[in-house]
Amino acid sequence: MNKMKLILGIILFGSLWGFSETILGTYLHNTSLPAGSIMTGVFAVGLMTISRVLYKQRGMQLGMGLVAGALRLFNPCGTCFICSAIAIMAEGLIFELIWYKLSLDLTELKKTTMSVSMGIIASYGCFVGGYIVTQILTPLSQSAGFHIENLIVFIPQILARGVPAALIGGIVVPAALMSKKIDIASVKDKIYYPLTATVSAACWIIVILNAIFILKVI
Amino acid sequence: MGTEKIIPIIAITFLLIGISSSIYVYATTPSISSYTAGDKSITINNQQFTIEQIFSDAQIRDIVTPDGINFSGIALDDLIIKTNVDCPSCHEYKIAAADSYEKTVTWENMQHGVLTEDGTAAFSDLAKAFRIKYVIKIEVV
Repeated sequence: MNKMKLILGIILFGSLWGFSETILGTYLHNTSLPAGSIMTGVFAVGLMTISRVLYKQRGMQLGMGLVAGALRLFNPCGTCFICSAIAIMAEGLIFELIWYKLSLDLTELKKTTMSVSMGIIASYGCFVGGYIVTQILTPLSQSAGFHIENLIVFIPQILARGVPAALIGGIVVPAALMSKKIDIASVKDKIYYPLTATVSAACWIIVILNAIFILKVI
Repeated sequence: MGTEKIIPIIAITFLLIGISSSIYVYATTPSISSYTAGDKSITINNQQFTIEQIFSDAQIRDIVTPDGINFSGIALDDLIIKTNVDCPSCHEYKIAAADSYEKTVTWENMQHGVLTEDGTAAFSDLAKAFRIKYVIKIEVV
């Protein structure tokens, strides 16, 4: 795989993930839906799985997490948006660790049982891991400080809240594996480069414009 | 054991952890829907108070949280002083909710905090993660 193609792929998928976290996530949090589970199960795990299938590269999802986390920093919604950004990056790292041992062509996931199981593991792991990271980092960034007993008593709630994310992941990963039929290497350069650059730029511009709008309203 | 067996076993284990945690939370957490402002009581420094008692003689404070939301309620520091805590500034305060969520804050934070009539603790100097709904207990630690 051409290095430039891969880097643009990381930026594209990371930007799409960051865009969904900042724009869609904000609206989802205002509904009665399980926003965190949907964001992790559908967008985070879904996009990371598609990118893994299309590019067949280890380390790419960690890169996506860094891009998505960086984009989150541009959205001033919430008090500790640096904590949210780090939680997104942590999700990228957790996904990377969970999928590390699998082969690059993902032959192990041919059977539905395997792909569903992998979706459950990835989604539950990312949700619980990201949640715990946020619960540690947010108090650390505040004058009240972090108290381990506050986290321990809340662990059953976090583990329980991960169930919808796990179930969503169990559906999303098998669906995302269908993108196997697309051969990204065969996409012509004159289409690939302008398209990835335009979509990535659009994500960043929309998030920045949204941030300016929010700051003006506040 | 091959990957084909390990992965489904881990997935089932994760689901079992999640489901058993849900059962544990459901069994040990009082229903939030039954938490109505009128009839609830709050334990402060091992003494029980009704919300009416608390609101009858404590100082009212208005705050704006860092995310721009206004809260009006009784001043948390005044509430602690009225419960006769020795040296209030020497302690930290653990605020616990009916859903088992809890946060420990400093005396300085308490001086920027309120307890609203619907039982929410909010602070003008702390992030949203420190907004505790359905407060049932304030413990001196």
